[in-house]
Amino acid sequence: MTPTVTAGPPGLREALYALSIAKDIPDATLLDEMVRRYPQFGTELTEHAIAIAIDAFRGDSAVVAAEAARDPFAPSPAVSRAMSRFQNRLHSVSKSQIAPETKSLSIPSEAFNPFISLSREEFRSFAKRLNVNSVFVGKLRDRQIDPDYLTPGFQRRVADDLRAPLDLVVAHFAAAQTAGARGQFFKADGRPTNGGRQSFEEAVRSSGLSEAQQAALLAL
Amino acid sequence: MIQSLNKAGDADPLIRPKTIEDQISATLRLSISNLKARLSVTDRADPEFVQSETLVHLVRHGRRTSNQTLISLVLPVLLNRCETNLLVKVPDGQIPEAASLREEILGAFSELFASDGVGDAPVELDFYECKFNRAFRFFRIDMVRRETARLKPIAQTPEQDLDGEPDAYEDVFARVSETFQASATQENEVFRSELMDAIQGLPPEERDAVILVHVVGYKEESDDPDEETAATRCNCTGRTIRNRLTRAAAKLVRFKEAL
Repeated sequence: MTPTVTAGPPGLREALYALSIAKDIPDATLLDEMVRRYPQFGTELTEHAIAIAIDAFRGDSAVVAAEAARDPFAPSPAVSRAMSRFQNRLHSVSKSQIAPETKSLSIPSEAFNPFISLSREEFRSFAKRLNVNSVFVGKLRDRQIDPDYLTPGFQRRVADDLRAPLDLVVAHFAAAQTAGARGQFFKADGRPTNGGRQSFEEAVRSSGLSEAQQAALLAL
Repeated sequence: MIQSLNKAGDADPLIRPKTIEDQISATLRLSISNLKARLSVTDRADPEFVQSETLVHLVRHGRRTSNQTLISLVLPVLLNRCETNLLVKVPDGQIPEAASLREEILGAFSELFASDGVGDAPVELDFYECKFNRAFRFFRIDMVRRETARLKPIAQTPEQDLDGEPDAYEDVFARVSETFQASATQENEVFRSELMDAIQGLPPEERDAVILVHVVGYKEESDDPDEETAATRCNCTGRTIRNRLTRAAAKLVRFKEAL
Protein backbone atom coordinates (compact mmCIF):
# COMPACT_ATOMS: atom_id res chain seq x y z
CA MET A 1 0.00 0.00 0.00
CA THR A 2 1.85 3.04 -1.18
CA PRO A 3 -0.52 5.87 -2.01
CA THR A 4 1.39 8.98 -2.79
CA VAL A 5 0.31 12.55 -2.91
CA THR A 6 -1.76 13.23 -6.00
CA ALA A 7 0.34 14.48 -8.83
CA GLY A 8 -2.33 14.62 -11.51
CA PRO A 9 -2.47 17.17 -14.28
CA PRO A 10 -1.05 20.61 -13.53
CA GLY A 11 -3.51 22.70 -11.58
CA LEU A 12 -5.75 19.86 -10.36
CA ARG A 13 -4.33 19.85 -6.86
CA GLU A 14 -4.65 23.59 -6.58
CA ALA A 15 -8.25 23.43 -7.81
CA LEU A 16 -9.15 20.81 -5.20
CA TYR A 17 -7.45 22.78 -2.43
CA ALA A 18 -9.31 25.91 -3.50
CA LEU A 19 -12.63 24.08 -3.33
CA SER A 20 -11.77 22.52 0.02
CA ILE A 21 -10.77 25.63 1.90
CA ALA A 22 -13.51 27.91 0.56
CA LYS A 23 -16.34 26.56 2.75
CA ASP A 24 -16.90 23.92 5.34
CA ILE A 25 -19.46 22.21 3.11
CA PRO A 26 -19.51 23.18 -0.56
CA ASP A 27 -22.81 24.33 -2.00
CA ALA A 28 -23.97 24.48 -5.61
CA THR A 29 -22.89 28.11 -6.02
CA LEU A 30 -19.35 27.37 -4.90
CA LEU A 31 -19.04 24.23 -6.98
CA ASP A 32 -20.34 26.04 -10.07
CA GLU A 33 -17.84 28.83 -9.48
CA MET A 34 -14.96 26.39 -9.13
CA VAL A 35 -15.95 24.48 -12.25
CA ARG A 36 -16.12 27.77 -14.14
CA ARG A 37 -12.64 28.56 -12.87
CA TYR A 38 -11.23 25.12 -13.59
CA PRO A 39 -13.50 23.73 -16.35
CA GLN A 40 -11.06 20.95 -17.19
CA PHE A 41 -11.55 19.45 -13.71
CA GLY A 42 -15.34 19.48 -13.48
CA THR A 43 -15.63 15.77 -12.72
CA GLU A 44 -12.88 15.79 -10.10
CA LEU A 45 -14.28 18.87 -8.39
CA THR A 46 -17.76 17.34 -8.26
CA GLU A 47 -16.46 14.08 -6.83
CA HIS A 48 -14.44 15.93 -4.25
CA ALA A 49 -17.34 18.18 -3.26
CA ILE A 50 -19.40 15.07 -2.56
CA ALA A 51 -16.58 13.56 -0.51
CA ILE A 52 -16.23 16.78 1.52
CA ALA A 53 -19.96 16.91 2.21
CA ILE A 54 -19.96 13.34 3.46
CA ASP A 55 -16.89 13.98 5.59
CA ALA A 56 -18.25 17.20 7.07
CA PHE A 57 -21.42 15.42 8.09
CA ARG A 58 -19.61 13.57 10.83
CA GLY A 59 -18.39 16.81 12.37
CA ASP A 60 -15.19 17.49 14.27
CA SER A 61 -16.32 17.23 17.88
CA ALA A 62 -14.62 13.87 18.36
CA VAL A 63 -11.37 15.26 16.92
CA VAL A 64 -11.49 18.30 19.20
CA ALA A 65 -12.08 16.14 22.26
CA ALA A 66 -9.33 13.69 21.37
CA GLU A 67 -6.91 16.51 20.66
CA ALA A 68 -7.59 18.16 24.00
CA ALA A 69 -6.95 14.89 25.82
CA ARG A 70 -3.62 14.19 24.16
CA ASP A 71 -0.18 15.15 25.46
CA PRO A 72 1.20 17.34 22.67
CA PHE A 73 4.78 16.44 23.55
CA ALA A 74 4.36 12.68 23.57
CA PRO A 75 4.93 11.62 19.98
CA SER A 76 3.61 8.21 19.04
CA PRO A 77 5.76 5.82 17.00
CA ALA A 78 3.84 6.96 13.91
CA VAL A 79 4.71 10.59 14.58
CA SER A 80 8.35 9.66 15.16
CA ARG A 81 8.43 7.83 11.86
CA ALA A 82 6.81 10.81 10.14
CA MET A 83 9.55 13.02 11.61
CA SER A 84 12.05 10.59 10.21
CA ARG A 85 10.49 10.84 6.76
CA PHE A 86 10.63 14.59 7.05
CA GLN A 87 14.35 14.47 7.87
CA ASN A 88 15.08 11.99 5.11
CA ARG A 89 13.17 14.04 2.58
CA LEU A 90 14.89 17.16 3.79
CA HIS A 91 18.21 15.48 3.27
CA SER A 92 17.40 14.43 -0.27
CA VAL A 93 16.06 17.89 -1.08
CA SER A 94 19.22 19.46 0.34
CA LYS A 95 21.40 17.12 -1.68
CA SER A 96 19.54 17.85 -4.89
CA GLN A 97 19.93 21.56 -4.34
CA ILE A 98 23.73 21.36 -4.21
CA ALA A 99 25.16 22.56 -7.50
CA PRO A 100 26.92 19.83 -9.49
CA GLU A 101 30.26 21.66 -9.45
CA THR A 102 30.07 22.04 -5.67
CA LYS A 103 29.19 18.39 -5.37
CA SER A 104 32.28 17.31 -7.21
CA LEU A 105 34.51 19.24 -4.83
CA SER A 106 32.91 18.03 -1.64
CA ILE A 107 33.50 14.82 0.18
CA PRO A 108 30.35 12.79 -0.19
CA SER A 109 28.38 12.30 2.97
CA GLU A 110 25.87 9.49 3.18
CA ALA A 111 23.68 10.97 5.87
CA PHE A 112 22.20 14.25 6.97
CA ASN A 113 24.29 15.82 9.72
CA PRO A 114 21.86 16.86 12.47
CA PHE A 115 24.53 19.10 14.02
CA ILE A 116 25.06 21.17 10.93
CA SER A 117 22.07 23.43 11.39
CA LEU A 118 22.70 24.13 15.06
CA SER A 119 23.43 27.73 15.89
CA ARG A 120 26.25 28.48 18.30
CA GLU A 121 23.73 28.83 21.11
CA GLU A 122 22.00 25.58 20.22
CA PHE A 123 25.34 23.84 20.00
CA ARG A 124 26.18 24.94 23.55
CA SER A 125 22.72 24.06 24.81
CA PHE A 126 23.07 20.60 23.41
CA ALA A 127 26.46 20.20 25.12
CA LYS A 128 24.90 21.33 28.38
CA ARG A 129 22.02 18.87 28.10
CA LEU A 130 24.43 16.04 27.40
CA ASN A 131 26.70 17.31 30.19
CA VAL A 132 29.79 17.46 28.00
CA ASN A 133 31.97 20.19 26.52
CA SER A 134 32.14 21.55 23.02
CA VAL A 135 35.26 19.53 22.21
CA PHE A 136 33.33 16.32 22.68
CA VAL A 137 30.32 17.59 20.74
CA GLY A 138 32.70 18.54 17.94
CA LYS A 139 33.79 14.92 17.78
CA LEU A 140 30.19 13.82 17.51
CA ARG A 141 29.51 16.39 14.83
CA ASP A 142 32.57 15.45 12.80
CA ARG A 143 32.07 11.70 13.17
CA GLN A 144 35.42 11.29 14.85
CA ILE A 145 34.19 8.38 16.93
CA ASP A 146 34.04 4.88 15.54
CA PRO A 147 30.30 4.03 15.40
CA ASP A 148 31.03 0.45 16.45
CA TYR A 149 31.87 1.76 19.91
CA LEU A 150 28.75 3.86 20.35
CA THR A 151 26.22 2.12 22.56
CA PRO A 152 22.51 2.21 21.72
CA GLY A 153 21.94 4.00 25.03
CA PHE A 154 24.36 6.76 24.13
CA GLN A 155 22.89 7.20 20.65
CA ARG A 156 19.39 7.33 22.13
CA ARG A 157 20.53 10.00 24.56
CA VAL A 158 22.05 12.07 21.75
CA ALA A 159 18.85 11.78 19.72
CA ASP A 160 16.78 12.88 22.69
CA ASP A 161 19.04 15.80 23.52
CA LEU A 162 19.23 16.84 19.88
CA ARG A 163 15.46 16.38 19.55
CA ALA A 164 16.12 14.47 16.37
CA PRO A 165 14.88 11.04 15.23
CA LEU A 166 17.03 8.20 16.47
CA ASP A 167 17.55 6.65 13.05
CA LEU A 168 18.78 9.98 11.74
CA VAL A 169 21.36 10.18 14.51
CA VAL A 170 22.42 6.57 14.02
CA ALA A 171 22.77 7.18 10.28
CA HIS A 172 24.85 10.27 10.95
CA PHE A 173 27.35 8.43 13.15
CA ALA A 174 27.54 5.52 10.72
CA ALA A 175 28.20 7.73 7.69
CA ALA A 176 31.61 8.47 6.23
CA GLN A 177 33.73 10.98 8.08
CA THR A 178 33.80 14.38 6.38
CA ALA A 179 36.06 17.40 6.51
CA GLY A 180 33.75 18.91 9.06
CA ALA A 181 30.50 20.72 8.98
CA ARG A 182 30.70 23.44 6.39
CA GLY A 183 29.53 26.74 7.69
CA GLN A 184 29.97 25.58 11.27
CA PHE A 185 32.23 27.29 13.75
CA PHE A 186 35.49 25.85 15.00
CA LYS A 187 36.93 26.91 18.28
CA ALA A 188 40.11 24.84 18.07
CA ASP A 189 43.27 26.20 16.46
CA GLY A 190 43.01 23.80 13.58
CA ARG A 191 40.05 22.50 11.68
CA PRO A 192 38.89 18.97 12.44
CA THR A 193 41.02 16.36 10.83
CA ASN A 194 39.96 13.53 8.64
CA GLY A 195 42.19 11.11 10.46
CA GLY A 196 41.33 7.79 12.00
CA ARG A 197 38.36 7.50 14.31
CA GLN A 198 38.66 7.13 18.04
CA SER A 199 36.94 4.56 20.13
CA PHE A 200 34.20 5.94 22.29
CA GLU A 201 36.29 5.61 25.44
CA GLU A 202 39.29 7.31 23.80
CA ALA A 203 37.06 10.15 22.69
CA VAL A 204 35.65 10.55 26.18
CA ARG A 205 39.08 10.38 27.86
CA SER A 206 40.73 12.85 25.49
CA SER A 207 38.15 15.64 25.48
CA GLY A 208 39.02 17.41 28.71
CA LEU A 209 35.93 16.20 30.53
CA SER A 210 35.77 15.88 34.30
CA GLU A 211 35.92 12.45 35.91
CA ALA A 212 32.22 12.63 36.72
CA GLN A 213 31.32 13.56 33.14
CA GLN A 214 33.47 10.74 31.76
CA ALA A 215 31.90 8.24 34.13
CA ALA A 216 28.39 9.33 33.22
CA LEU A 217 29.08 8.99 29.49
CA LEU A 218 30.74 5.63 29.75
CA ALA A 219 27.80 4.34 31.76
CA LEU A 220 25.31 5.08 28.98
CA MET B 1 7.17 41.41 9.23
CA ILE B 2 5.61 38.04 8.48
CA GLN B 3 6.49 36.40 5.20
CA SER B 4 3.56 36.87 2.84
CA LEU B 5 1.92 33.97 1.08
CA ASN B 6 2.70 33.35 -2.56
CA LYS B 7 0.03 30.91 -3.61
CA ALA B 8 -2.27 32.84 -5.87
CA GLY B 9 -5.73 31.61 -6.70
CA ASP B 10 -7.15 32.53 -10.07
CA ALA B 11 -8.95 35.48 -8.55
CA ASP B 12 -7.09 36.53 -5.42
CA PRO B 13 -3.96 35.56 -3.56
CA LEU B 14 -4.39 33.61 -0.36
CA ILE B 15 -4.57 35.75 2.74
CA ARG B 16 -4.23 34.53 6.31
CA PRO B 17 -7.04 35.45 8.70
CA LYS B 18 -6.15 38.47 10.83
CA THR B 19 -6.22 36.40 14.02
CA ILE B 20 -3.64 34.04 12.56
CA GLU B 21 -1.41 36.90 11.42
CA ASP B 22 -1.53 38.34 14.92
CA GLN B 23 -0.77 35.03 16.55
CA ILE B 24 2.14 34.37 14.20
CA SER B 25 3.63 37.76 15.03
CA ALA B 26 3.27 37.06 18.73
CA THR B 27 4.67 33.54 18.70
CA LEU B 28 7.66 34.49 16.58
CA ARG B 29 8.73 36.76 19.42
CA LEU B 30 8.52 34.03 22.07
CA SER B 31 11.54 32.27 23.49
CA ILE B 32 11.67 28.53 22.91
CA SER B 33 10.66 27.83 26.52
CA ASN B 34 7.71 30.22 26.35
CA LEU B 35 6.66 28.79 23.03
CA LYS B 36 6.81 25.32 24.53
CA ALA B 37 4.54 26.48 27.32
CA ARG B 38 2.06 27.79 24.78
CA LEU B 39 2.21 24.55 22.81
CA SER B 40 1.22 22.61 25.91
CA VAL B 41 -2.26 24.16 25.71
CA THR B 42 -4.56 21.69 23.98
CA ASP B 43 -7.97 23.26 24.50
CA ARG B 44 -8.93 25.03 21.28
CA ALA B 45 -11.13 27.42 23.24
CA ASP B 46 -8.22 28.62 25.37
CA PRO B 47 -6.90 31.98 24.11
CA GLU B 48 -3.37 30.66 24.63
CA PHE B 49 -3.97 27.78 22.22
CA VAL B 50 -1.63 27.99 19.24
CA GLN B 51 -3.60 27.43 16.05
CA SER B 52 -2.39 24.84 13.57
CA GLU B 53 -2.07 27.54 10.89
CA THR B 54 0.46 29.23 13.15
CA LEU B 55 2.34 25.98 13.70
CA VAL B 56 2.67 25.55 9.96
CA HIS B 57 4.14 29.01 9.69
CA LEU B 58 6.58 28.37 12.53
CA VAL B 59 7.88 25.18 10.94
CA ARG B 60 8.27 26.92 7.58
CA HIS B 61 10.01 29.78 9.34
CA GLY B 62 12.32 27.24 10.95
CA ARG B 63 13.11 25.80 7.53
CA ARG B 64 13.82 29.22 6.04
CA THR B 65 16.09 30.21 8.90
CA SER B 66 17.66 26.76 9.44
CA ASN B 67 16.36 26.74 12.99
CA GLN B 68 16.37 23.02 13.77
CA THR B 69 15.35 23.64 17.37
CA LEU B 70 12.18 25.38 16.30
CA ILE B 71 11.35 22.66 13.78
CA SER B 72 12.03 19.90 16.28
CA LEU B 73 9.78 21.53 18.83
CA VAL B 74 6.85 22.49 16.64
CA LEU B 75 6.57 19.87 13.90
CA PRO B 76 5.97 16.89 16.25
CA VAL B 77 3.20 18.86 17.97
CA LEU B 78 1.54 19.54 14.64
CA LEU B 79 1.95 15.93 13.55
CA ASN B 80 0.44 14.81 16.86
CA ARG B 81 -2.67 16.84 16.07
CA CYS B 82 -2.79 15.39 12.57
CA GLU B 83 -2.49 11.87 13.89
CA THR B 84 -5.33 12.52 16.31
CA ASN B 85 -7.45 13.72 13.41
CA LEU B 86 -6.57 10.62 11.39
CA LEU B 87 -7.38 8.25 14.25
CA VAL B 88 -10.89 9.69 14.35
CA LYS B 89 -11.45 10.19 10.64
CA VAL B 90 -9.76 7.04 9.32
CA PRO B 91 -10.63 4.58 12.07
CA ASP B 92 -9.64 0.94 12.11
CA GLY B 93 -12.25 -1.12 10.32
CA GLN B 94 -13.43 1.60 7.98
CA ILE B 95 -11.05 0.44 5.27
CA PRO B 96 -8.50 -2.36 5.20
CA GLU B 97 -5.04 -1.43 6.44
CA ALA B 98 -6.34 1.76 8.04
CA ALA B 99 -3.33 1.99 10.34
CA SER B 100 -0.90 1.80 7.42
CA LEU B 101 -2.88 4.37 5.52
CA ARG B 102 -2.90 6.75 8.49
CA GLU B 103 0.84 6.42 8.76
CA GLU B 104 1.28 6.99 5.05
CA ILE B 105 -0.84 10.14 5.19
CA LEU B 106 1.11 11.44 8.17
CA GLY B 107 4.45 10.70 6.53
CA ALA B 108 3.45 12.25 3.22
CA PHE B 109 2.21 15.33 5.04
CA SER B 110 5.49 15.70 6.93
CA GLU B 111 7.33 15.60 3.61
CA LEU B 112 5.46 18.69 2.44
CA PHE B 113 7.53 20.66 4.92
CA ALA B 114 10.79 19.23 3.62
CA SER B 115 9.79 20.05 0.05
CA ASP B 116 8.55 23.52 0.93
CA GLY B 117 9.84 26.06 -1.56
CA VAL B 118 11.03 23.50 -4.10
CA GLY B 119 9.62 20.99 -6.56
CA ASP B 120 6.28 20.95 -8.32
CA ALA B 121 4.26 22.52 -5.52
CA PRO B 122 6.61 24.90 -3.74
CA VAL B 123 3.91 26.86 -1.94
CA GLU B 124 1.34 24.16 -1.24
CA LEU B 125 1.64 24.86 2.47
CA ASP B 126 0.23 28.34 1.92
CA PHE B 127 -3.23 26.75 2.00
CA TYR B 128 -2.46 25.36 5.44
CA GLU B 129 -1.56 28.78 6.82
CA CYS B 130 -5.02 30.02 5.84
CA LYS B 131 -7.38 27.18 6.71
CA PHE B 132 -5.44 24.31 8.18
CA ASN B 133 -8.28 21.95 9.04
CA ARG B 134 -9.91 22.28 5.64
CA ALA B 135 -6.62 21.92 3.78
CA PHE B 136 -5.66 18.85 5.79
CA ARG B 137 -9.14 17.47 5.17
CA PHE B 138 -8.43 17.64 1.44
CA PHE B 139 -5.05 15.96 1.94
CA ARG B 140 -6.64 13.13 3.93
CA ILE B 141 -9.69 12.65 1.71
CA ASP B 142 -7.52 12.62 -1.40
CA MET B 143 -5.31 9.84 -0.10
CA VAL B 144 -8.17 7.83 1.38
CA ARG B 145 -10.15 7.99 -1.87
CA ARG B 146 -7.24 6.83 -3.95
CA GLU B 147 -6.48 4.00 -1.55
CA THR B 148 -10.15 2.99 -1.54
CA ALA B 149 -10.22 3.07 -5.34
CA ARG B 150 -7.13 0.92 -5.45
CA LEU B 151 -8.60 -1.66 -3.11
CA LYS B 152 -12.09 -1.73 -4.59
CA PRO B 153 -12.24 -1.02 -8.31
CA ILE B 154 -15.76 0.19 -9.00
CA ALA B 155 -17.81 -2.43 -10.84
CA GLN B 156 -20.31 -0.82 -13.17
CA THR B 157 -23.70 -2.44 -12.86
CA PRO B 158 -26.57 -1.66 -15.19
CA GLU B 159 -29.08 0.69 -13.63
CA GLN B 160 -32.70 -0.31 -13.41
CA ASP B 161 -35.25 2.10 -14.77
CA LEU B 162 -37.86 2.56 -12.08
CA ASP B 163 -41.39 3.77 -12.44
CA GLY B 164 -41.85 4.49 -8.77
CA GLU B 165 -43.18 7.77 -7.50
CA PRO B 166 -40.25 9.90 -6.27
CA ASP B 167 -42.48 12.19 -4.24
CA ALA B 168 -43.31 9.29 -1.98
CA TYR B 169 -39.81 9.60 -0.55
CA GLU B 170 -39.75 13.34 0.02
CA ASP B 171 -39.94 12.86 3.78
CA VAL B 172 -36.81 10.76 3.76
CA PHE B 173 -34.79 13.39 1.97
CA ALA B 174 -36.23 16.20 4.04
CA ARG B 175 -34.79 14.33 7.02
CA VAL B 176 -31.42 13.98 5.28
CA SER B 177 -31.29 17.72 4.51
CA GLU B 178 -32.34 18.66 8.04
CA THR B 179 -29.71 16.43 9.55
CA PHE B 180 -26.94 17.83 7.38
CA GLN B 181 -27.90 21.38 8.24
CA ALA B 182 -28.23 20.80 11.97
CA SER B 183 -25.07 21.02 13.99
CA ALA B 184 -23.94 17.81 15.62
CA THR B 185 -25.03 17.39 19.21
CA GLN B 186 -24.70 14.55 21.63
CA GLU B 187 -28.42 13.90 21.31
CA ASN B 188 -28.43 13.38 17.57
CA GLU B 189 -24.95 11.95 17.25
CA VAL B 190 -26.08 8.35 17.12
CA PHE B 191 -28.74 9.12 14.55
CA ARG B 192 -26.33 11.13 12.41
CA SER B 193 -23.78 8.40 12.55
CA GLU B 194 -26.26 5.73 11.53
CA LEU B 195 -27.65 7.85 8.71
CA MET B 196 -24.14 8.64 7.52
CA ASP B 197 -23.22 4.97 7.50
CA ALA B 198 -26.35 4.23 5.50
CA ILE B 199 -25.59 6.97 2.97
CA GLN B 200 -22.01 5.82 2.64
CA GLY B 201 -23.25 2.30 2.10
CA LEU B 202 -25.32 3.31 -0.93
CA PRO B 203 -24.01 2.49 -4.41
CA PRO B 204 -21.81 5.45 -5.48
CA GLU B 205 -24.18 6.81 -8.11
CA GLU B 206 -27.11 6.79 -5.66
CA ARG B 207 -25.01 8.34 -2.91
CA ASP B 208 -23.79 11.08 -5.26
CA ALA B 209 -27.33 11.91 -6.37
CA VAL B 210 -28.49 12.20 -2.74
CA ILE B 211 -25.59 14.46 -1.77
CA LEU B 212 -25.76 16.68 -4.86
CA VAL B 213 -29.51 17.26 -4.60
CA HIS B 214 -30.17 17.20 -0.88
CA VAL B 215 -26.92 18.50 0.59
CA VAL B 216 -25.10 20.55 -2.03
CA GLY B 217 -28.43 21.91 -3.26
CA TYR B 218 -28.65 21.20 -6.99
CA LYS B 219 -31.94 20.74 -8.80
CA GLU B 220 -32.38 17.28 -10.27
CA GLU B 221 -32.60 18.80 -13.77
CA SER B 222 -33.63 22.04 -15.47
CA ASP B 223 -35.26 23.23 -18.65
CA ASP B 224 -32.61 25.94 -18.83
CA PRO B 225 -29.73 24.43 -20.82
CA ASP B 226 -27.28 26.80 -19.13
CA GLU B 227 -28.22 25.83 -15.61
CA GLU B 228 -26.01 23.32 -13.82
CA THR B 229 -27.96 20.54 -12.12
CA ALA B 230 -27.30 17.19 -10.52
CA ALA B 231 -27.92 15.69 -13.94
CA THR B 232 -25.33 17.86 -15.69
CA ARG B 233 -22.83 17.31 -12.88
CA CYS B 234 -23.26 13.56 -13.22
CA ASN B 235 -23.44 13.62 -17.03
CA CYS B 236 -26.77 11.85 -17.12
CA THR B 237 -30.45 12.67 -17.59
CA GLY B 238 -32.81 14.05 -15.00
CA ARG B 239 -34.74 10.81 -15.19
CA THR B 240 -31.64 8.87 -14.22
CA ILE B 241 -31.09 11.15 -11.23
CA ARG B 242 -34.69 10.63 -10.11
CA ASN B 243 -34.32 6.87 -10.45
CA ARG B 244 -31.20 6.92 -8.36
CA LEU B 245 -32.91 9.01 -5.71
CA THR B 246 -35.86 6.66 -5.64
CA ARG B 247 -33.65 3.65 -5.13
CA ALA B 248 -31.65 5.45 -2.45
CA ALA B 249 -34.78 6.55 -0.63
CA ALA B 250 -36.07 3.01 -0.47
CA LYS B 251 -32.90 2.08 1.38
CA LEU B 252 -33.04 5.08 3.71
CA VAL B 253 -36.74 4.92 4.48
CA ARG B 254 -36.16 3.63 8.01
CA PHE B 255 -34.71 7.04 8.93
CA LYS B 256 -37.89 8.89 8.02
CA GLU B 257 -39.39 8.97 11.49
CA ALA B 258 -36.21 9.07 13.49
CA LEU B 259 -34.38 12.03 15.07
